[in-house]
Amino acid sequence: MNYSLVGRLIWKDWYFQRTAILLALAGGALSLGIVAVGGQAGFTIGLILLVTILAMISAMTVMGNVLGERENQTLAFVMTLPISYVEYTTSKILGALLIFVPFWLTLVIGCLGLIVAAPPIHGLFAFTVIMAVEILVGTCLLIAVSLVTESKGWTVSAMVTANIAINLVGYLVAHIPGISNGMWGTKILWRSAATLSLIVEFALIVLMLGMAFFLQSRKKDFI
Amino acid sequence: MNDISVFFDGVCKKYPHFSLDNIGLELATGSIMGFIGANGAGKSTTLRILMGLVHQDSGTVRVLGHSMPEEQTAAKLDIGFVSEDLRLYGPATLEWHMNFLRPIFPRWDQPYADGLAHRFDLNPQQKIKGLSHGQRVKAALLLALARRPRLLVLDEPTTGLDPVARVEVLEELMSVLADEDRTILFSSHNTLDVEQISDQITFIDRGKIIDSDNKEAFLDRWRRLRLVLPPDGVVPRLPGFVQVGGSGRLPVVTTNRFEPAMVSACNEMGATVQAVDTMTLEEIFVANVHSRRERGAA
Repeated sequence: MNYSLVGRLIWKDWYFQRTAILLALAGGALSLGIVAVGGQAGFTIGLILLVTILAMISAMTVMGNVLGERENQTLAFVMTLPISYVEYTTSKILGALLIFVPFWLTLVIGCLGLIVAAPPIHGLFAFTVIMAVEILVGTCLLIAVSLVTESKGWTVSAMVTANIAINLVGYLVAHIPGISNGMWGTKILWRSAATLSLIVEFALIVLMLGMAFFLQSRKKDFI
Repeated sequence: MNDISVFFDGVCKKYPHFSLDNIGLELATGSIMGFIGANGAGKSTTLRILMGLVHQDSGTVRVLGHSMPEEQTAAKLDIGFVSEDLRLYGPATLEWHMNFLRPIFPRWDQPYADGLAHRFDLNPQQKIKGLSHGQRVKAALLLALARRPRLLVLDEPTTGLDPVARVEVLEELMSVLADEDRTILFSSHNTLDVEQISDQITFIDRGKIIDSDNKEAFLDRWRRLRLVLPPDGVVPRLPGFVQVGGSGRLPVVTTNRFEPAMVSACNEMGATVQAVDTMTLEEIFVANVHSRRERGAA
C-alpha cells in the first residue's frame, strides 16, 4: 500500500471540499450553540439543524469526492498516477470518513453531553448512541454504493434507503424491551440489548466497507 | 524484450457490443507509433489496457518490462498519459496540479515544467476552468511531459480542437519531442496528425490490428495504378492486390506491395499503365479498412 499517495489523494479531496467543510463547521458550531442555550425549543431546532448538516456533509462527500471524479472526468487523471484501484478505494473511503466523522463525533458528543447534563432525559442515552451510529451506518452505505456503482441513480436510491432505515431503526430500537424500558426515565441505563445493537451496527459498517473493497478489487474496467 | 517498450500478444477483451480480438503489438524503445483507427475501432480500449485501466480477458501485456495489469503501479511511474477524456481539476490552477504531482513522480522536472508553461503560453496561476480547450490539452501535456516519462501515451489528444489549436498543439508537441529519446504511442482517427510525428504506423479496425509497419514502408509500398485495358481485357492480378476501382477499361488498382517491375509486368499482361499514384496515409488507411471489411463480408 502506497500510504503517502493515499494520503495525498485524501488531502486533495479535503482541498476541493474545504469551503463546504468550513461552512459546515460554522453551521455545526451554530447548531450546538442553539442546542446549548436555546432551552426546549432551541434543543429541538439545534438538533434538527445538526442532523441536517450531517446529512448534507454525507451527501456532499459522496457526490463531490466519489461520484464527482467520474462525472468531471478527473478519474482518468487520478488513475494515471502510480496507484492501484484498491489504493484508490482506500483513499476515497478514508477521505470521506475523515470529512464526515469529525462532524458526526461533534454531534454525538454534543448530544450525549447535553443528555448527561440534563437529568430528566438521562434515559435517552442508549437510544441516542444507537441512532447516532445508525447515521454513520447510513453514510457508510452511501460511500460503499457510490464507490462500487459510480452511479448517481444508485447513490440516490441508497440515500433514500438510508433515510428510511433511520426511521425504521428508530422505531424498532424504541420497541426493544432492553432499551425502551427506562428510555423516558431519569437514569442512564446501558443494557446488553444496547451493546448488541451497537455490535450489529458496527458489523454492518465493516461488512459494507469490506464488500466495497472486495467488489472494487474484482473490477476490471476503471474508466 | 529489453528494447521493446510495449508488447501485446493475443490480447482479447469482450464487451456486449464490441470486442478486441487477438491484439498483437510491439513498440521498440525510442520509436513513435501512430495508432490509427476510426471512431470505435478499439484504440482507446487498447491504450487503457496498456495503462492497466482496463484488464484484458486474455493475452499478455508488458509495458516497460512490467506485466500488466498486475504491475501497473510500477509501470505508471514511467508513463505519461494524455487522453481526450482526461480532465484536470477545474477549480485548481495549473500550479496546484504541478505541486500535487511533483512529490509523486521521482523524476518530476520543475524547471522543464516551467519552461513548457512558458513555451505553451500557459499561466500557472490561472484556474483550469478558465482555460480554453486547447490550453487544457497543453496543460495536460505539460503535466505528462514534466514527469519525464519513458513512455508517452497520447489518446486522441487533438480531438475536439479547432484547426488553429490543433496545429499549435502538434507543433508544440513536435518541437518538444524533437530532441527526446522517448517512446510514444499516439492514437488518432486523424491520419494527418499521426503522419506528422510518427515513424511507425498501426491500423486498427473493428477491434483487430489490420496492418503495422514503419511509415516510410507504408508510403513506399502502397500505390494506385491507373490502367488502360484492351477490349475484353481483364484486370491483371498484381502482387499485394488490395482493391480495384475505376470502371470498364479504365480500372484503378490499389496494391500494398508495389515494385517498379510491376509496371512492365502489367504491360506484358496486356494492360497499359497510365500512371502510378502515390497515396497519402489517409488513403492507405481507408483502402486498407475497405478491403478488409469487403473480405470480411465475403
